[in-house]
Amino acid sequence: MRHYELLIILKPTLTEEEVKAKVDFVKEVLEKNQAQIASLQDLGMRKLGYEIDKHQRGHYFVFYYKAPPSSIAEIERIMRITEEILRFLTVKYENKKEIKQWEILSTKGKIEPQKPEKIEQKEEKETQTEGEKAQG
Amino acid sequence: MSNKRRYTKKYCKYCEAKITMIDYKDLSLLKHTLSERYKIMPRRLTGNCKKHQEMVEKAIKRARQAAFIPYIVDRKKVIDNPFKALEE
Ligand SMILES: [Zn+2]
Repeated sequence: MRHYELLIILKPTLTEEEVKAKVDFVKEVLEKNQAQIASLQDLGMRKLGYEIDKHQRGHYFVFYYKAPPSSIAEIERIMRITEEILRFLTVKYENKKEIKQWEILSTKGKIEPQKPEKIEQKEEKETQTEGEKAQG
Repeated sequence: MSNKRRYTKKYCKYCEAKITMIDYKDLSLLKHTLSERYKIMPRRLTGNCKKHQEMVEKAIKRARQAAFIPYIVDRKKVIDNPFKALEE
């Protein structure tokens, strides 16, 4: 068993139930592949640093889990073919120092989701830039 | 530029803050090493030590992959500064 982290970005267009269903789906995939999930963190809706499939925002989730290295290929294969997942990232925590960090990160999620007010402000700006693009 | 003062101080901010690990999701830690155009700044400008430079480079590359920060900022697509919220 090794220590891993899986970050997924879900499409911003999903409803609350769809988001929950997808997160449960990923959970199931991990568990089916002998993963022990230590923690699941919802980082909330965030503005993306760049557009992915025409989406400006995405809903971030992070899983911290332990799994045998042989499971990773299968987990990543399923992440890749799941349409609602815009992007995923697996991080391996290998040496003692990294595993210590994994333990800290998986027990207390330091990152707080963005405040809803700020997202609203950003939405306005997004529509502005879109309008500019259409003009040009 | 307002950044100029930062260049004259030559010490590692990460050593000063006693950072042992840099998480790619913690954007406030990556900020010191990124330029206004989200490029990784060289050590000679930031004063980072080699150990921390390597750590922060890896974290920045992961943060780019996870779309927390852009790879490039070009003139046509004006991207909102994700650090803005942190600076306020
Ligand atoms: Zn240092």
